[in-house]
Amino acid sequence: MVVVGGGIAGVSTVAELRKGGYAGELVLVSADAVPYDRPPLSKAYLAGEKSLDAIALQHPDWYADQQVLLVGGTVAVAVRPEVGEVELADGRVLSADRIVLATGGRAVRPAFGEVRRDAPVHVLRDVADADRLRTQLVPGARLLIVGGGLIGAEVASTARGLGAEVVLVDPLDPPLAAAVGTEVARWLHGLHAEHGVEALTTTVETLLETRAGVAVQLKGEPDSREFDAVLVAVGLVPETGLAEAAGLETSRGILVDSGQVTSHPSVLAVGDCARLRDHRRAEHWEAAQRDGARAAATILQSEPLPATAPWWWSDRYGLHVEGVGEMRSADAEHRTVVRGVVGEPPFAAFTLRGERVVGAVTVDDPAATKAVRRLIDRGVDVRPADLADPAQNLRTLLRR
Amino acid sequence: MTGNSGNGGNSTGIRVASVDDIPEGEGIAISSDITGTEDDIAILRDDDGTCWALNDTCTHETASLAEGWVEDGDVECPLHSSRFNLKTGKVDGLPATRDTVPHRVEVRDGEVYLFPGERP
Repeated sequence: MVVVGGGIAGVSTVAELRKGGYAGELVLVSADAVPYDRPPLSKAYLAGEKSLDAIALQHPDWYADQQVLLVGGTVAVAVRPEVGEVELADGRVLSADRIVLATGGRAVRPAFGEVRRDAPVHVLRDVADADRLRTQLVPGARLLIVGGGLIGAEVASTARGLGAEVVLVDPLDPPLAAAVGTEVARWLHGLHAEHGVEALTTTVETLLETRAGVAVQLKGEPDSREFDAVLVAVGLVPETGLAEAAGLETSRGILVDSGQVTSHPSVLAVGDCARLRDHRRAEHWEAAQRDGARAAATILQSEPLPATAPWWWSDRYGLHVEGVGEMRSADAEHRTVVRGVVGEPPFAAFTLRGERVVGAVTVDDPAATKAVRRLIDRGVDVRPADLADPAQNLRTLLRR
Repeated sequence: MTGNSGNGGNSTGIRVASVDDIPEGEGIAISSDITGTEDDIAILRDDDGTCWALNDTCTHETASLAEGWVEDGDVECPLHSSRFNLKTGKVDGLPATRDTVPHRVEVRDGEVYLFPGERP
């Protein structure tokens, strides 16, 4: 078995295979010498509070303990499922009865004009990206962040903590409304201004490299602005090149079934590179981890994990934000219920369909997230008044 | 990780709470001033009513496991949902990678006694 890709999806696949009793050979091909966790790249790692060792996905000894052959520092250049081979960039060819693709994604880099490759225009996907960006986050440095989603907002917070001057642009006002609902999104976005970030609803027309840095023309502004660095955080594209070359079916991701199997029966795909037919890619940490567990269950022919509402977290300006399930705007079928007061953490907002919660976003109230996730998973009927009452322990609602 | 000095080996344990003070599925943190250990200790009550004790600080970042979600033999960290086995302290779910330290707990006459530094 060869797993191609050392992110959370790939590492979870090998971990779950061994946990489930898989006794065969296991090879993990990782572009990084030792696989690491990506969420800290916009937070504690970028801030310099955590080292690369501290964000390892597993202790380096773990691979040997688990009899996983970690082939680090190289990438696969071809997979040939019909002959059971994975070819590496260094020329080695690994044999594989089954192949799991966990190739992740790469950050979208829109064409903003003529920018040299080594211009200080960054994306943030791996440790090298974070290291390059960090060298520029010094007190007084002028940083433009393009994209006010989770990663853009996290970097804005980290950069302010390091003393940089930050301008953040996004075409949406507020960003993230689809993920957290308009009311919470507006408050979250407003935190930027409270913390000294200039948040603008606009887009970038052009970027021009100058001697001092980057000159940026924002739409609707008479003059361009000078920045020392630019971070583009506008999403990712799934890494499907190996799969396409191998003739697998792809469409905004490597298409998989509910057991993570691709259009070729001996190839599975997990994490950001994969997309379940007729679904959107989740692009969250836990979703990738669960993909790995599902792939392992398919290979082991064991019972797959029970389904659960998707969950994510994010941190900005010292606040811990979590989302679970699906937030929807109020309409004929859906209503919004708030626990506490939006803007006064801890608080939570829920989307209800009839008597059921279908989604929630919480700020500094992770216990509420955990309770709601179980309310969704178990299909428990709730009364809006119980959800809204901060004195009501949500866990007790599960016991009815 | 553990300071096993102080009260380790205490034959009667330290009375730290009444069992009714800890709702099923929740936990309380006992200060290291009381336990004599390096870290605070979380007393965690599983949803079957049994009590367990682990070092309080999640090995991933710095969250208090006493504020976590206790269910089916695991505690789930409040921040990133790392899971630890209540009995052994072993990691049952990422992102934590380092096991934590379990401590022995006894419930006598409705009171919870903690034996810091002793294995369960």
